[in-house]
Amino acid sequence: MTSLSRRAFVTASAAALLTGCGGGNGTSSTTNSSANSTANQGSSGTGGSQQGSPTPSTGSGAKAVHALARSVPVTLRVPAIGVDTPVMRLGLASDGTVQVPPITAHDRAGWYRYSPTPGATGPSVILGHVTVGAYGDGVFRRLARLRAGNRIDVVLENGTTAVFAVTAVRTVAKADFPSDEVYGNVDRPELRLITCGGTRTGSGYLDNVIVFAALTA
Amino acid sequence: MALACGAVLASTVPAFAHGASASPARAATAAPTTAPSPVPSATAEPTRSPSAAPSAEPTVAPSQVASVPRGAPDTGVAPVSKSSDLSTTLIGGGAAAAVVGGGAFVVVRRRRATGA
Repeated sequence: MTSLSRRAFVTASAAALLTGCGGGNGTSSTTNSSANSTANQGSSGTGGSQQGSPTPSTGSGAKAVHALARSVPVTLRVPAIGVDTPVMRLGLASDGTVQVPPITAHDRAGWYRYSPTPGATGPSVILGHVTVGAYGDGVFRRLARLRAGNRIDVVLENGTTAVFAVTAVRTVAKADFPSDEVYGNVDRPELRLITCGGTRTGSGYLDNVIVFAALTA
Repeated sequence: MALACGAVLASTVPAFAHGASASPARAATAAPTTAPSPVPSATAEPTRSPSAAPSAEPTVAPSQVASVPRGAPDTGVAPVSKSSDLSTTLIGGGAAAAVVGGGAFVVVRRRRATGA
């Protein structure tokens, strides 16, 4: 009987522990699935980087489109990935890096105010988070899923809407961030949407997802 | 006298007409031919100056982005809190397992005590 009771105790304890770990595993699988989805976003972004022209400013016939008057962006809409967000203004951080939108539950996109306004000649830069820590997914969580030709609308403060079309999607290592391609001069109105992507390490990401787009209307 | 004046006028008018019709035409044709020659030389000079200007502009051209940020933007804060949730879940699961195991132990002891 003693051995029986010991066996019963061990069996019950093992079952209980498995139950507890199962719950933990369930949580971890949720985390992993979100990580995988993020990783997939990154990998899909890498795949997406192969479509569209790598040098967006030279690759389309949209040069006939006239630049719009300077007016700051107030709303960003990307129907293909369900983005409809207000746009805040961003500047430079004290270390010289670009400011990013605050980490909040319903985070917004931000326009880098030292770049041209959307629709004006030059590379207008809008940034958003892919994830916002404890709040989960960010406003640009699906940015890497964009493909060449997808539409991007930017509503300006003066009421006009700058309509862009995606020309390329690239996932690049942060260590090799292409500043010249992102911030360099171009001969037409262009747009860059930037977020993080790729492999997640600790509290950050190794890559950036960059969407290049050109004004179409 | 009148006849002489008339003859002079009559002879001069055709001369004017002739000369006027010929000389302006020649002058007009000559002027453009001479004018273009200075013009090309004038346009040649501007083409030199614009060709010099663009070659200088790219180096001097102002950046469309007034201030280029350093490095890559940090636009993703990983949901680290979820890992802490995971640890709390694991701890909670372990505690629950201990409680269940203890309960099972008590049940077995009672059964053994009652001889069931």
